[in-house]
Amino acid sequence: MTGSTHDRDPPVIEFDRVAVRVPADAGTVDAGTVDARAVDAGDGQRAILHGLTLSLTEPRIAIIGANGSGKSTLLKLINGLVLPSSGSVTSAGLDTRHRGRDVRRRVGFIFTDPLSQLVMPTGREDVELSLRGRIRRPAERRFAAVEVLERFGIADLADRSIYDLSGGERQLLAIAVVAAVEPSILVADEPTTLLDLRNENRVRETLRGVADQLIFTTHNLSFALDSDRCLVVDGGRVAFDGAPPDAVTFYRRLCAA
Amino acid sequence: MRGHGNLLGLYVPGNSALHRTPLWLKVLLSVLLSTAVLAARAPEATAAGLAVVTLALTIGAHTPAVQLGKTVLPLLPVLGLLLAYQGFTNGPVPAFVTAGNILVCVLAARVLTLTTPGQELLDGVVFVARPVRAVGGDPERFGLALSILMRSIPYLAGSLLDVRDAARARGLERSVRATVVPVVVSAVAYAHRTGEALAARGLGEDDRPTPGA
Repeated sequence: MTGSTHDRDPPVIEFDRVAVRVPADAGTVDAGTVDARAVDAGDGQRAILHGLTLSLTEPRIAIIGANGSGKSTLLKLINGLVLPSSGSVTSAGLDTRHRGRDVRRRVGFIFTDPLSQLVMPTGREDVELSLRGRIRRPAERRFAAVEVLERFGIADLADRSIYDLSGGERQLLAIAVVAAVEPSILVADEPTTLLDLRNENRVRETLRGVADQLIFTTHNLSFALDSDRCLVVDGGRVAFDGAPPDAVTFYRRLCAA
Repeated sequence: MRGHGNLLGLYVPGNSALHRTPLWLKVLLSVLLSTAVLAARAPEATAAGLAVVTLALTIGAHTPAVQLGKTVLPLLPVLGLLLAYQGFTNGPVPAFVTAGNILVCVLAARVLTLTTPGQELLDGVVFVARPVRAVGGDPERFGLALSILMRSIPYLAGSLLDVRDAARARGLERSVRATVVPVVVSAVAYAHRTGEALAARGLGEDDRPTPGA
């Protein structure tokens, strides 16, 4: 769909003994940031994730698990939206704690609800906003924004209000907005959850070529099977890590138990 | 979520004379008109100001009359209260001047927002805010904050209508609490999500290199 032109960093993500803890009462007020269900870690703290040591190198990695299991927090650790309480996370060779701004330039993030992600009134303006740091001249920026939208086959959405778009159109736009800055890693938090089948297929196809590495969470097991590696997260730990068919079988058993 | 951008005067694409007019000229004319009616404090000036902004919106910006009416609609409660208070305390002519002048200023500002793309406005704000650099400020952040503010108005208006419908569906249309509390909670959640989305996109972050970068 789109190709990057700048030098690529190695798409490697390392988790080294990562734990994320929050105050015991944070889940109710901050459920948007951290997964709400967590394990009591003592000292008035709850553990969202614990004991996580991982090396993520495959081009497509799926993460599945129940609601509140820690999937979204795991994703947000990758681009420094959430920092580990202990341990460290390295994305594209950069420590997320000390190089957060540089990490976010290399790691794009797609939210479940695209309306949260789009901050300008129209699609073209939102892509232009992404490009502000790269292209200073307004006319060039406008031209480049339209080019990005054309590349994703959504040029017709350029001047439409984001509120007038369907869920699928908004999600495609959100992907284009993130892809405009050519991230080497793309992280997507349940990107197809709010979509019908047609739009889900379109979004899945679009996600395929955006970055060198795609890491996504999903409740759609056929989407999870369409990956090179699949993690099952349960109770803040990686309960299974391996081939997607085996991971899905494990997850089905876990849910049935 | 419903869209209320047009109702609240956000940019409407078009090719009218005002769409083609440079931003600086539109700002200058808006400021001059607003200053003139406020300085004159005369009913003739207010009436003339209202006529000018109405013509600018309908003929200059090709805004349909119905759309113009919808743009003014949210202001009516405040203007009505002001008219009633001023009419009671100072008489009908000062009341007309006060309420009319506010309407002129608001509509003059709406001419700008209706006919200027958000990015162009953002560029303009960033240009005007350049002096904040002298005190360590970032004009880009300043402009971005204003853009987010403008984008948030239609979201919150839509949220209010959605919550009101939800209250109606539960037979709670008369309950102020059933409307206000969810809107406030939704506004806080929206602010949180927007902040997170901006952070995820690296927007509004310090452009200076990180130590060791």
